[in-house]
Amino acid sequence: MLLVLSLALDSLTGCTTESRRKYCKGTPSLRDGNPKKVTNWLIAAPMSINQTFKNKFRRAIMWAALALIILLIFLSIYGAFIGPDRSKKFFNSIPLAVYWAVFALLLGVGIAAFRRLLRVPALLLIHVGCILILAGAIWGSEDGHKLRKRLFGIDKIPTGQMQIYEGYSDNRVILENNQIRELPFYIGLKDFRIEYYKPGYLHIQSRQGDGWKFPVKIDTEFSLGPEFGTVEILKVFENFKITIEGDRSTATDEPGPGSNPALEVRISTGRRRKASPSGLTVESPNGRTATRYVFERFPGHIHPDDEILMSYQRVISDYISQLQVIRDGRVVAEKDIEVNHPLHFGGYHFYQQDYDHEAGQYTVLTVTSDSGLALVYVGYLMLCTGVFWHFWLRQLPVRFSRLVARPSWPWFHGLEARATSNSE
Amino acid sequence: MEIKYTIQGLLIYITIAAYLLALLATLLRRPRTGHLLYMLGFIVAVSSFVYRWYHVRHVPMQNLFEVSLCLAMFYPVSVFCRRVLRVGGQWADMLIGAVVLVPAGFVFNAEPQKLPPALQSWLFVPHVAVYMLSYIFMAKAAFFAVSQLAGQAHNPDAPRAPCGENLLPPEQATYRMICVGFPLLTLGLVLGSVWGKLAWGDYWGWDPKELWSLASWLVYVAYLHFRYMFGNRYRRINSLWAIAGVVVIVVTLLWVNLSRLFPGLHNYGT
Repeated sequence: MLLVLSLALDSLTGCTTESRRKYCKGTPSLRDGNPKKVTNWLIAAPMSINQTFKNKFRRAIMWAALALIILLIFLSIYGAFIGPDRSKKFFNSIPLAVYWAVFALLLGVGIAAFRRLLRVPALLLIHVGCILILAGAIWGSEDGHKLRKRLFGIDKIPTGQMQIYEGYSDNRVILENNQIRELPFYIGLKDFRIEYYKPGYLHIQSRQGDGWKFPVKIDTEFSLGPEFGTVEILKVFENFKITIEGDRSTATDEPGPGSNPALEVRISTGRRRKASPSGLTVESPNGRTATRYVFERFPGHIHPDDEILMSYQRVISDYISQLQVIRDGRVVAEKDIEVNHPLHFGGYHFYQQDYDHEAGQYTVLTVTSDSGLALVYVGYLMLCTGVFWHFWLRQLPVRFSRLVARPSWPWFHGLEARATSNSE
Repeated sequence: MEIKYTIQGLLIYITIAAYLLALLATLLRRPRTGHLLYMLGFIVAVSSFVYRWYHVRHVPMQNLFEVSLCLAMFYPVSVFCRRVLRVGGQWADMLIGAVVLVPAGFVFNAEPQKLPPALQSWLFVPHVAVYMLSYIFMAKAAFFAVSQLAGQAHNPDAPRAPCGENLLPPEQATYRMICVGFPLLTLGLVLGSVWGKLAWGDYWGWDPKELWSLASWLVYVAYLHFRYMFGNRYRRINSLWAIAGVVVIVVTLLWVNLSRLFPGLHNYGT
C-alpha cells in the first residue's frame, strides 16, 4: 500500500515535473531572435498546457482506480475472515457505502476521461457493466429500499422468511430484526414432501471402533465377522408406531401425517452355521438372536446389552413445496418450488429455504424483493460480453489464422487450399 | 496420508507416474518420449475421471478430490497454448498435473457422495468447469511469472523447444495466459453469482468463498490496470501480481474449504 501511495504521489508530483521539463525543453525565448517561432509557441502553449493537465488528470484517475481495487482486495480478504453475517453488515456500513459510491463515480469519470474506453466498445461494455452491477446492488439493498420509500413512496420488503404449515396460507414475513411485515397477497402450502436417494444405509459401529455400512435391502444377511455375527434387515418403516394390545406390543407403519423412519433389524451374535454331512446347514445351540429397531431420528439409541451401535441414514435428494398464490380469495398462480427453482410473483422471489425436520409439517421460505436484479444481470451480461470480446474475440481469430498458415498443420492447409479454389 | 488400494487410486498413481516420467524425459532432452508419456498420462487421467463419473453417477466436480481429477487433464490446454498462443512451458504443465493429483491420491477422501439439492442445477458443471479451466491458465501464468523473476529473459523451455518454434518470453507469456484466463475467471464468478441467486436467494451472500473469489478476480483486474499503465516498464511488479493472483486462487480453492476458519455455504466442497 505504501508503495502504491508513494507511486501515486510520484505521479501527481514527479511525473508532472517530468512532463513540465519535457514541455519546457522546447520553449523558445526571444533571445533566439526568431519572432515567428515565438508566436507559434504562444499559440501552441495553451493547447499543450491543456493536454498536460488532461494527462495529469488521467494518471490520477488510473492511480485512484488502482488504489480502490487494492483496497477492495484487502477488504474482501478481511470480510472472508469475519464470516458472512458480520461481513454483510460491514460491506453495507456507511463508510463502505461511501466507498461504493466513489468507486461507481470513478468508473463514470474514467469513461468520460479516457477516450479509449469510448472508442473500444468492449472496454466500454466492461466498465458500464461494472457501474450497472454496483447501481443494481445499491438499488436492491436494504438502504436502497428505505431510500425508495422516502423518495417515491414505494414500500417493498427487502428480505425475510415465511413459515407456512401444510394446508394453510399466510402473508406474514419475518424480517431479520424479527419485525413482521405483510405481503399484498397470500402464499398457501398445498403439500410439502421430501425425496431421498435410494437406498438408505444402515451404519454399524462396534464399541471397539470397527465400522460397517450396508445398503438397506430386505431379507439380506450381512456379516460383521466372527466376533459380532450377522445382521439382517427385516422391515422398513416410514412412520414407525408401537401399538399395544393387552400384553403384546406390535410395531406398525402408521399411514397419514408424521414421519418416523425406522428399520427392523435382526442381530445374530455368537451363532455359528456349520455344514452337516448331509449338505444342510445347522445352527449351533449357543447362538443368540435379537430384534432391534433402528430409528433415523434417534441415531444414538442403543440397547444396554448390545455390542454394536446402529444408525439408519438416508440422503435427501430434494425437498419440494407445492405453493399457491392467493389474491382476493382466488388462486392466481401455482408452482412446485424446490432448491434452484424459486417462485417469482408480484416483485418477489420465494425460495425453498428449510422445513420441519421433526414431522415435515411446514416449510420455510425465503422472500426477497427483485428490485435492482435486472440492472445487476444486465451488468453481468455486459461485463462478460466485454471481457470475452476484448480478450478473446479480438485476439484468438488472429492466432488461429496464424496457426492455419503453419507448415506443421497440413490438414488445415488442405482445407485452406480447398477454400481458396472454391472462392476462385 | 493414505494410499488408495482401489481402481480409482491405481489410475491416479499411474497418471502421476506418467507425468513425472514425461517431465524427466523432457528435462533429459527427450522431447518425443516426454510428449508420448504426457499423452499417456492424459489418457489415464481421462479414464480416471470417466471411471469416477460412472461410479458416482454425476459429473465428478463436487468436492476437492473430484476437482483434482478434473484439473489433472491438462494436456489439451498445453497443446492449445503451444500451438495457438505460442506459449511453451509444457514441462511445467507435466509438473502441475502431477502436483494437483498428489492430494487426490494421498490426502483427499474418495468416498462417493450424493449431490445435495443445492448442487442439482444446470449451472453446476459450467460454473466449476469454467473456474477449473481459468485456474489452469492462471497457474501457467504464475509459472512464467516465476521464470521472469528468476531472471529468464527468454522462454524457459527454449533449449527444449523444437526447431522453428517461436515461443514468447516469460513476461509476455504471463500476460497472454492471463488474457485467456481472465474472461473465464469472470464468467465463473458471474455464473456462481447467478446460481447463488437461484439456490439461496441472493446473488452475493458475503460467503468466505465468494469473497476470496472476488479477491482473486480483483488481483487480476489490478494486474491488467497496472500493466496498462506501465506496460513492460516494471516487469517484476507485473510478475508479482500474477504470482499473488495464483496464491489467492490456491487459498480460494483449498484453504477456504479445508480450514475451519471459513464456515460458509460452500463447505460441501470439502
